[in-house]
Amino acid sequence: MTSTLEQHATNLRQESAAEVPWRTVVWDDPVNLMTYVSFVFRRYFGYSREKAERLMLQVHTEGRAVVATGNREAMERHVQAMHGYGLQATVSKVEP
Amino acid sequence: MIVAGRSGGEGVRLVLESEEAMLLSELADQVDSVLLLGEDDDPALGRLLPSAYIDDASASREFARYTRDSLVDGKRQAAQQVRDATAVEAVEDGVVQIELDQSEAWSWLTFLTDLRLILAERVGVIEEGDDTADETRDDYLRAAYEWAGFVQGSMLEVLDPTDS
Repeated sequence: MTSTLEQHATNLRQESAAEVPWRTVVWDDPVNLMTYVSFVFRRYFGYSREKAERLMLQVHTEGRAVVATGNREAMERHVQAMHGYGLQATVSKVEP
Repeated sequence: MIVAGRSGGEGVRLVLESEEAMLLSELADQVDSVLLLGEDDDPALGRLLPSAYIDDASASREFARYTRDSLVDGKRQAAQQVRDATAVEAVEDGVVQIELDQSEAWSWLTFLTDLRLILAERVGVIEEGDDTADETRDDYLRAAYEWAGFVQGSMLEVLDPTDS
């Protein structure tokens, strides 16, 4: 009985973790060149030219763009990489 | 400053006037110093190492604790690479020629970004028209900011040519 309950609890945790992904947000910065931002998206994330430019333009016109979603650890790695490239990036939870 | 492709493959070739090389070397040394000696409340350092969480100071601190050393190391290495490449004593014909492969070129691009972030913070690119600012110093920093942007833009055109 106990083991069944524990199993159930574990499943619940996994489900809720899967339902609440995290995102990597890149913010607009008046300093960075648009060509540079787009080049970084392609090099680091491996995005196509079209996708990288669409995200870059979204950052530029809307002030920010979600460039990746996934588990928290992976998003923190992305944000660290973005900071390495000199982009302003944050980790945030996807709103339920 | 001439920015061109390399005849032997990927990467970029730079031809700098000796004054430009000296300036770049000096600026790279200053970026390295900001990273090495910058106080935590230095807003320029805040631009280079921003918070990873907007509304969670504790998570931000935790993130900084795990990532800061490696980020600072990477940025310092890029700055030192540019400083060393441009710190040339004997100059032929008044120009300095530098060849960069793809990976070295990325170090330059990230260094130029960090440099511009620091200069923007020092000169206040966002806050225009501050009458109390030291105009001569600001003119110099602003010129360096524009020039670094020109160099970076030219490098990107060579490394990532667009059809249009």
